[in-house]
Amino acid sequence: MTTGSPPSPRTTAIWIACIVALGLVPLTGTYVTGLAAEILIFAIFAMSLDLLIGYTGLMSFGHAAFFGVSTYTMVILGVHLGWSGWIGFAAGVAMSTIAAFVIGFFAIRVSGIPFLMITMAFAQLLMSISVKWRSVTGGTDGLSGFQRPTLFGLSLENRVTQYYVVLVGFLLVLFFLRRLIASPLGSIFIGIKENEQRMLAAGYPVQRFKLIAFTLAGALAGIGGGLYGLHNAFVSSDILHWSLSGDAIIMVILGGAGTIIGPIFGSAAFLLLKNVVSSHTHYWLLWVGTIFILCVMFLPQGLWGFLRQRFGRRPPP
Amino acid sequence: MSDTSANLLRLDNLYKSFGSLVVTKDVNLTVDRGERHALIGPNGAGKTSLVHQISGQLRPTSGRIFFCGEDITGASPDEIGQRGIGRTFQKNNLFRQLSMRENVRLALQAKRGNWYSFLRPASADRALLDEVDAILTQVRLADGRDRLVANLSYGEQRQLEVALALASQPRLLLLDEPTSGMSPAETERMIDLVQSLPAELGVLLIEHDMKVVFTLAHTITVLYYGEVLATGKPDAIRDNPRVREVYLGLGH
Ligand SMILES: Nc1ncnc2c1ncn2[C@@H]1O[C@H](COP(=O)(O)OP(=O)(O)OP(=O)(O)O)[C@@H](O)[C@H]1O
Ligand SMILES: [Mg+2]
Repeated sequence: MTTGSPPSPRTTAIWIACIVALGLVPLTGTYVTGLAAEILIFAIFAMSLDLLIGYTGLMSFGHAAFFGVSTYTMVILGVHLGWSGWIGFAAGVAMSTIAAFVIGFFAIRVSGIPFLMITMAFAQLLMSISVKWRSVTGGTDGLSGFQRPTLFGLSLENRVTQYYVVLVGFLLVLFFLRRLIASPLGSIFIGIKENEQRMLAAGYPVQRFKLIAFTLAGALAGIGGGLYGLHNAFVSSDILHWSLSGDAIIMVILGGAGTIIGPIFGSAAFLLLKNVVSSHTHYWLLWVGTIFILCVMFLPQGLWGFLRQRFGRRPPP
Repeated sequence: MSDTSANLLRLDNLYKSFGSLVVTKDVNLTVDRGERHALIGPNGAGKTSLVHQISGQLRPTSGRIFFCGEDITGASPDEIGQRGIGRTFQKNNLFRQLSMRENVRLALQAKRGNWYSFLRPASADRALLDEVDAILTQVRLADGRDRLVANLSYGEQRQLEVALALASQPRLLLLDEPTSGMSPAETERMIDLVQSLPAELGVLLIEHDMKVVFTLAHTITVLYYGEVLATGKPDAIRDNPRVREVYLGLGH
């Protein structure tokens, strides 16, 4: 459905304006910059989950596993073995990819609620390992003392440098996903979501492509997790908690499942709510929940789908 | 490769039951290259179940299915699709949120490969898109090819079913009631379409409309409670007293 025609000058102008605006964020001070970095990291996480939920039709409830495995790998290698954060980053993404391949291999054998349960069970399994294996993971107290690496002589201890590293990662994932979704491989994922039975009848080995989607999504979540490690220099078992998987699902649906841009809006809305509302009341989750329910009822296409409709464009990309 | 003298499709004592309900009972049936074979029978006779078994969606309880002389019993639907059996569904079963063109492009791409290309847009393959348009023309879907399936008329969706089956470039085409729910004009168009299919293509056609059956079929098989009641040339079937009694007589 994605058209191959080059984007209109107006679209290109909007893209450039957005990227420039993102590049200027550090001018607003360290608090906003830190929050923006977090939004971009969770946007990567939500976009990667949307590849499963919105594009392939796989309702995963254990996506935190791939985010967390990457963060853990990086921080553990850094703290215990003194490895550079960059090598840790690569190792983290590799571990997430492998974990996604292994977990996906079992999970895709079922679909619907059983799929949701299996993905959640695997994530819980990883979490209990992280809680129990205290000598390595620090358990629920977490593992601190990670030394952030440097880039071209600039230390990532600096919030601004961190932000730009996160921004580059975010843009790479964003443009990768845009390309993927418009490509033959992406069209197969979309076909599976639309009608698995018809894809089989047409001659596609559907299971193989579900596993590819699951593994890819795990790798992209791993990029998010790695950036989170660079950003926070800390990890605890919270990162594998099922509620983080749930947050990502909320971000995807809030922003607009099955769109590239939607999860970015979802991540921004979720984290802004969390940061703004939680400074006034402890019951911020109640607010998030209420807004989520209203959104599902009145904006079934999500925030982005609604904006697209309002501003008169054809179906979302 | 495969034995060219063999039947395109051969069912050997095919048997399928759901618990105590027998839907396919010792069915023997052949379809040759170029043959237009109609499968008729009252509602619930087991016609769709037979097509599901041939296309791999249902696994027969016993018996064998041969395609081009090779045993394909129990093969997966995608493997059977790749081997050259295309099918339509009795109830429209399309990619509803995708455009007419994208529906056919996906089906065609299944046969053409290039599955793992992930950086070039799918729409960059102009040759493939030209083929998509040729298939849509072949099934007489001329305009609004970028409309979503959900916005097509029922009859257009029926035609698109056939387009998807043809896009997988089958040697055997299984059509499950292609004219069901169609207006007389749309039915005429479907007859015309089936007549215009390549001569060497084998077609197994499930159909309730006797006009369609007697216009198109070279051979007719009558299924009754899962069993083959009769099989033969249209004239022989028309004159068969048992067929007249249990089926053709109905409602006349
Ligand atoms: N998965 C299933 N489990 C149990 N029974 C089934 C199943 N699928 C079909 N049946 C039953 O098998 C019988 C044959 O069904 P089938 O759909 O093959 O008939 P048909 O000849 O195609 O009928 P129609 O003309 O109405 O399309 C019916 O009684 C149906 O209820
Ligand atoms: Mg039927």
